[in-house]
Amino acid sequence: MNKYSRNDATGKNTLAGKNHTSTKAAAASTMDIVNQGLSRRYNAEKRFRLYGITAIILSMVFLAMLFISIIGNGYTAFQQTFVKLDIFLDPDTIDAQSLKDANYQGMVKQSLRDMFPEVKTRRDKRRLYAMISSGAAFQLQDFVRKNQQEIGSVIQLWVPADDDVDMLIKGHIPRDVPEIERRIKDNQLAWIDRLQDQGRIEKRFNTTFFTAGDSREPELAGILGAVSGSFYTLIVTLMLSFPVGVATAVYLEEFAPKNRWTDIIEVNINNLAAVPSIVYGLLGLAVFLNFFGLPRSVPLVGGFVLTLMTLPTIIIASRAALKSVPPSIREAALGVGASKTQMVVHHVLPLALPGMLTGTIIGMAQALGETAPLLMIGMVAFIVDIPGGFTDPSTVLPVQIFLWADSPERAFLERTSAAIMVLLAFLVTMNAVAVFLRKKFERRW
Amino acid sequence: MSSSNLLLVLLMLTAGGYFLGRRRAFVLAGTSGRGQQTLHSRPTYYGALAALWCALPALTVFSFWRFFESSVVTQMVIAGLPPDIQNLPADRLSLIINDIRNIVSANIVPQEINPAIQAAADHYTRLTAISHATLAVLVTTIAIAGLLWVQKIISPGLRARNHVETVVKFLLIACSTIAIFTTIGIVLSVLYEAIRFFKIVPLHEFVFGLDWSPQMAIRADQVGSSGAFGAIPVFMGTLLISAIAMCVAVPIGLMSAIYLSEYANKKFRAVAKPLMEILAGIPTVVYGFFAALVVAPLIRNAGMSLGLDVSSESALAAGLVMGIMIIPFVSSLSDDVINAVPQSLRDGALGLGSTHSETIRLVVLPAALPGIVGGVLLAVSRAIGETMIVVMAAGLAANLTMNPLNTVTTVTVQIVTLLVGDQEFDSPKTLAAFALGLMLFLITLILNVIALVVVRKYREQYE
Amino acid sequence: MKKVLIASLALIFTMGLGSGWAASRDYISIVGSSTVYPFATVVAENFGKTTGFKTPTIESTGSGGGHKLFGAGVGVEYPDITNSSRRIKKSEFEKAVANGVKEIVEVKIGYDGIVIANSKKAPLFKLSRKDIFLALAKDVPSGNVAGKTVPNPNKTWKDVNPALPDVKIEVLGPPPTSGTRDAFVELAMEGGAKKFGWIKDLKKKDKSAYKALCHTIREDGAYIEAGENDNLIVQKLDANKDALGIFGFSFLDQNSDKLQGALIDGIAPEFDAIADGSYPVSRPLFFYVKKAHVGSIPGIKEYLAEFTSEKAWGDDGYLTDKGLIPMPAAERKKFRQAVENLIPLSASDL
Repeated sequence: MNKYSRNDATGKNTLAGKNHTSTKAAAASTMDIVNQGLSRRYNAEKRFRLYGITAIILSMVFLAMLFISIIGNGYTAFQQTFVKLDIFLDPDTIDAQSLKDANYQGMVKQSLRDMFPEVKTRRDKRRLYAMISSGAAFQLQDFVRKNQQEIGSVIQLWVPADDDVDMLIKGHIPRDVPEIERRIKDNQLAWIDRLQDQGRIEKRFNTTFFTAGDSREPELAGILGAVSGSFYTLIVTLMLSFPVGVATAVYLEEFAPKNRWTDIIEVNINNLAAVPSIVYGLLGLAVFLNFFGLPRSVPLVGGFVLTLMTLPTIIIASRAALKSVPPSIREAALGVGASKTQMVVHHVLPLALPGMLTGTIIGMAQALGETAPLLMIGMVAFIVDIPGGFTDPSTVLPVQIFLWADSPERAFLERTSAAIMVLLAFLVTMNAVAVFLRKKFERRW
Repeated sequence: MSSSNLLLVLLMLTAGGYFLGRRRAFVLAGTSGRGQQTLHSRPTYYGALAALWCALPALTVFSFWRFFESSVVTQMVIAGLPPDIQNLPADRLSLIINDIRNIVSANIVPQEINPAIQAAADHYTRLTAISHATLAVLVTTIAIAGLLWVQKIISPGLRARNHVETVVKFLLIACSTIAIFTTIGIVLSVLYEAIRFFKIVPLHEFVFGLDWSPQMAIRADQVGSSGAFGAIPVFMGTLLISAIAMCVAVPIGLMSAIYLSEYANKKFRAVAKPLMEILAGIPTVVYGFFAALVVAPLIRNAGMSLGLDVSSESALAAGLVMGIMIIPFVSSLSDDVINAVPQSLRDGALGLGSTHSETIRLVVLPAALPGIVGGVLLAVSRAIGETMIVVMAAGLAANLTMNPLNTVTTVTVQIVTLLVGDQEFDSPKTLAAFALGLMLFLITLILNVIALVVVRKYREQYE
Repeated sequence: MKKVLIASLALIFTMGLGSGWAASRDYISIVGSSTVYPFATVVAENFGKTTGFKTPTIESTGSGGGHKLFGAGVGVEYPDITNSSRRIKKSEFEKAVANGVKEIVEVKIGYDGIVIANSKKAPLFKLSRKDIFLALAKDVPSGNVAGKTVPNPNKTWKDVNPALPDVKIEVLGPPPTSGTRDAFVELAMEGGAKKFGWIKDLKKKDKSAYKALCHTIREDGAYIEAGENDNLIVQKLDANKDALGIFGFSFLDQNSDKLQGALIDGIAPEFDAIADGSYPVSRPLFFYVKKAHVGSIPGIKEYLAEFTSEKAWGDDGYLTDKGLIPMPAAERKKFRQAVENLIPLSASDL
């Protein structure tokens, strides 16, 4: 009981004497008003919570829709339909001296004719040949080169089917639409069914997708060229942006005098981080290609442009990491006689390094997914070869996805989705590594 | 010798200089009384000083020489040409110089080569060889001279560490300036081309014109579009799609941030936050593919069943997906700001008897408002600058409309369309892309500055 | 001041290291037409697989864009071959020669029809060239008064010709960098405009006014320029039933399950009709090679041999499978000889 309490030792309200009735009435009505509004306010509270949960669930639904549609479209790309052919390696057509010049396509066609001798007209024959991929000839050529002793005998070879047959076997082409609206004609359907009955059609893991470069034929197209291009580009970006970014952050944070200039520089760098990526593409086009005359479509120039883009991210993350090192460490180092540079290099930098690494990994992940600036510097050409170095023409995985997304063939649709899955896998891994590093090395001072 | 060999030699000299300098320091130190403690700095600094004095002057001379080499040699070769070739008009002369350079670098040349030009090419080769040899000698001499000079001045009293640290500081400054150069580079390159554009097409026609048909004829005898460069329909398209995106992103992002920071328990947060970050890390080309493949047909079918006339590349589809992309952006920025509001404010409100939602609506949000506004502005600038989603899901026809079911085009789509494949920097078509890029850069810059100012100005209330 | 000095030193440092960029390229660089692109890419891929040379890189810039890049000069930084869906114009040839590209070898590879197609789910259009002109031109004749034109007032196909469906005019077509556009305006639009007597007479009196009238396409949104990506047009047609698209026959052939070509002057766009010339809107396809680059860039001769081999462009060749309409055997022989001997083009041929 203190002097501010209204109730005396007996618990009765001592101030209740004067104006007792009016206060009580007034108090009662206030409480009534409050009580009446209470349920409305609780309902408002519940609705508010509901909005919050709905918002989060909506975001999750969008994410799920994205993943389900991509994975749903793409998982079939990891399998490719193969057809078993019996091919006679005619010793008359294959000259052992120049294996290259033999008509392998002709041998494949002959094998098809032998399997379906009733096909006579030119048009039907073309339909028959169209069921097997044009890559079969090259596969046969490889086989003959490695097994020259088989020349003269009949071999059995599993060759990739054409992309339309592949789509049919995977169920993407409906069989019940009228023939005119279908890419697979009725007689082709009959032949395919016969081949299936003979056990000559099989779906296998699509290694071509991971070992081949781009191609006009979907069944022969792969992402290795694009992945190598991305790899080289990222290496150039990393080697240029990490040292420069860290050096800039160290200078700005530790050495630069705190005056208007550094203020402007800080605003500058924050702005650079928010500039749309396509403007960096314009910069690359005007300066690197036009002024310096560097070649188009090479990972080196792509790396330069992406370096300029990721520098602000790395600088900002590194500055935050440097700021988080407590002043006591710095003062302790200075106290035992280190110079400023020694203090920074030997004490602050190692402690800030995990944060810097995290920022760099996130910056690299952003650079991996960038498409717009690379479109400007020419990486939209049709390039088949796998790049072997930094100055070989190449494309990167996001640009490859963009290019394939335009192709009308149904088979490219599933391959685009599969390529997206590969890209997302890389990105999720990189982000997960960054988060893991951040958690592991996080130190609470 | 070739420049890469020269650089290699320089590298070896530098390494040698480091070891020599260090050894000298040890030698000087070891003999007298207290050993290494007589030295001002640790021996490694003496080595570093030697290496730096060896490398830096030599590299500077090397760069300057290489930078000016080709123009000086070209001038000398032109002076050596016969007078009738020297007096040719400028473009013919530059062709001849190109031929000479091509012959020298074993590039492709047209078939018949004038003997005078061949002689000039040989002259060029000779001059270049002399220049390279001289450079090699000069650079090596400077490197060795630097080395020897440092060897001479190494003494226990030499403040090697201070010198080295000064050089390191200058290196750091040089790195920082690269970041500045990037901004200057962007502004200058875009500005330069844009100014060339505005000489052809006046500024007011660009900013206020209503007709956008930039596909002009590319040959004299061709008939193309009229080349109207009024950019208003394009700006309106950007505005429309960004508005739709913000209508999606701001409510969802803000509410999810509020829920995550105020209501969610730790387990929920541990699951939801990484999922949001995944949403943020998906590349925009994937969003574009998703928009073109799934969302646009969905909206079109839904619209058709309701009897509306929906274009297959409606602004709604592109705006919706762009909004989804921006949700994590808004969410994480708002999350930071809401967490920064002091707990005492919340406690005070709760203590007065308000419910949790009332606290948030009446106390926390107004307190966090400057930060949220700043975040929203940053999100808007992100939406305006987004390229891939609109390239894949939005249209190409400049349409002046506010109806989200129609097709519109945006600034970024036009930049891509005008520039992909075209490399000539003279036609108004290519330059128009730079003018659009300049507008984009300026608008995002202004938005960012406003966001920064708003946050800075109003944030101090709670520090 | 010191910082500025260091900054400029840093800049010159990097530029000094960057100058003197090595000029060397060991792969063939091809630019040009988006119509020829599908054929060139298939040949390039086969060439890369069967020979030891690097696969050529091919960019789709449009015939006009390709000629500009091709004719800009001789050297490794310029493309070696340009694909073209129309013959090189005299002005382009002269510009190329002025820039040092003196010897150009012309190779015709086959024929292609230009089709106006729409989705199979929409009704089939039966157009005449006059309908096309009235639907797409910027200015159309007003009434039957000679010499008088008004800006095109037709909004639906029914306005143009009462027999056509009452559907808004929405045509996706190529930009001026495309050879398909040039061929389309010359064959279809001009062909339709000539049906008006006074326009036909205008050709003799004032050629440039005649050209302006026939070739200018409307800009009020009915005609949408869809870039150099014909695949994109095909996709958009699939999604939008009311739109029509203008592209080469090969794209129709490869997507015949989704698209149908409109009849022009009563003739359907089919292989045989285009091959024998009865389909009125067909043109030859070309590519042009810089003779100066042959020998310096490895593999050009072999690429030319692959393209002009019977298994590629013959009647049963793989290009025919892609929708190319092959030339008669005599013409093929003539161009194969031109390629083997690298006979350059002269100004008088154009």
